[in-house]
Amino acid sequence: MGHYHDVFGRGGESLRRVGDDILKWLRSLSPNSRQIVNWAVTTLSVVMCLLALPLRLPGMELLGVPPDWLLIWVVAWSVKRSFWQGALAGIILGLAQDGMTMAQPTHVWSLMVVGMLTARLQKQRFIQEDFISVALIVFAMAVVAETLMAIQFSLGGWGLFGSGIYPALVEVWQYHQQVALASAILSSLWAPVLYYPLNRWWELMNSLEQIPSR
Amino acid sequence: MGLGVLALVGAWTIRQTQGATLAELYRWLTLPLQPQAEQQQAILENAQLSELQQRLIELDAQNQELQRLLNYTQAQTGEGIVAPVIGRSADRWWEQIVVGRGREHGIRIGSVVSGTGGIVGRVIQVTPNTSRVLLVSDPTSQVGATVSRSRVMGFMRGRSGSQAVMEFFEKDPNVQPGDVVATSPYSQLFPPGLPIGRVVSIDFEKSPAPEAVIELAAPVDYLEWVTITTSLEGGANP
Repeated sequence: MGHYHDVFGRGGESLRRVGDDILKWLRSLSPNSRQIVNWAVTTLSVVMCLLALPLRLPGMELLGVPPDWLLIWVVAWSVKRSFWQGALAGIILGLAQDGMTMAQPTHVWSLMVVGMLTARLQKQRFIQEDFISVALIVFAMAVVAETLMAIQFSLGGWGLFGSGIYPALVEVWQYHQQVALASAILSSLWAPVLYYPLNRWWELMNSLEQIPSR
Repeated sequence: MGLGVLALVGAWTIRQTQGATLAELYRWLTLPLQPQAEQQQAILENAQLSELQQRLIELDAQNQELQRLLNYTQAQTGEGIVAPVIGRSADRWWEQIVVGRGREHGIRIGSVVSGTGGIVGRVIQVTPNTSRVLLVSDPTSQVGATVSRSRVMGFMRGRSGSQAVMEFFEKDPNVQPGDVVATSPYSQLFPPGLPIGRVVSIDFEKSPAPEAVIELAAPVDYLEWVTITTSLEGGANP
């Protein structure tokens, strides 16, 4: 019960009762169906992130740059997972983002590297898990991701991806400075909004795994 | 592991279908946020005025040119579909918009999109109810352009924002700040004579060819409604 109070905070009585019911329902499920619920919630959170990408709400952009929701998601996922799980999440979300913009240059590399680096960081135990460090990781990873995109644009300009129109090298790196900084600041500020509920959910799922089902 | 493969296949499907399902879902979810029809009327009337002014200069110059040349091909006019802008690019590196009209309304890939005052881009992907537009302000988007006053030719590249750069083919082009720029007859993607913007400054020293900075006529950063012309095909090749 104590755990559940952490999840929902000091909300109203009715909210607490709803939370109780959900928790009771999750406990009553078999481990397999609980897995399905877990994956459904995870997938839903990815879809929400994808749908938030084209949206520009007032106050949500800096220099015309929105927060990078997919990057935040990949960091939140990879912080407590293995190297390969992080890489796989990066590839999957990268492919999805390619579908929503353009496939060339691809987002797969940048998000995959973000997933792998984040998973690696946690093993060294230099960074404790809390909001500030997650925000810092997101900040650094946004710079890494934008740099990888800029490198791809530069390579494209040298004709490595075949024909196609690419901006000039100078323009790419000028734009990179602007976009990397704006994206890093905004994404790290918005990171807790996504990280907090997702992390709580996965923690709850993990703790339910430990309890043998009746 | 099985779930991982499943997720990978799902993501691959999104990529191959160009996120069509997501685009449709996004449109449906943002329906209450989309601008209403009354606002659109006022914006359009305002826009038509400035667009007509620029067109007048363009047509005037074109007319003189044609009287001289006498090999004018009939300008095509197409049906315009008014579409609300429901989203911007899903990434920071591309200048794109998502509009809430699609294949069911007759929009095809390559349809020309114009906004309040001039062209804004062309359609690069359509789903039944949405289309994605690559803006002319995107650095990867090139448009053949001509200066309406002196008929100097060149091409224009976007510079992510409301400005673009026009490169000329000649060493000493007859251009001055304030000149109106329109799509050229050599453009492969756009029909000739559509207004693009105005020259702000010119750098004659630029190598290999002089460059001019152009202020786009359409406010690409603040688009709410656009007009999509479907029957206009790319300009006739000479």
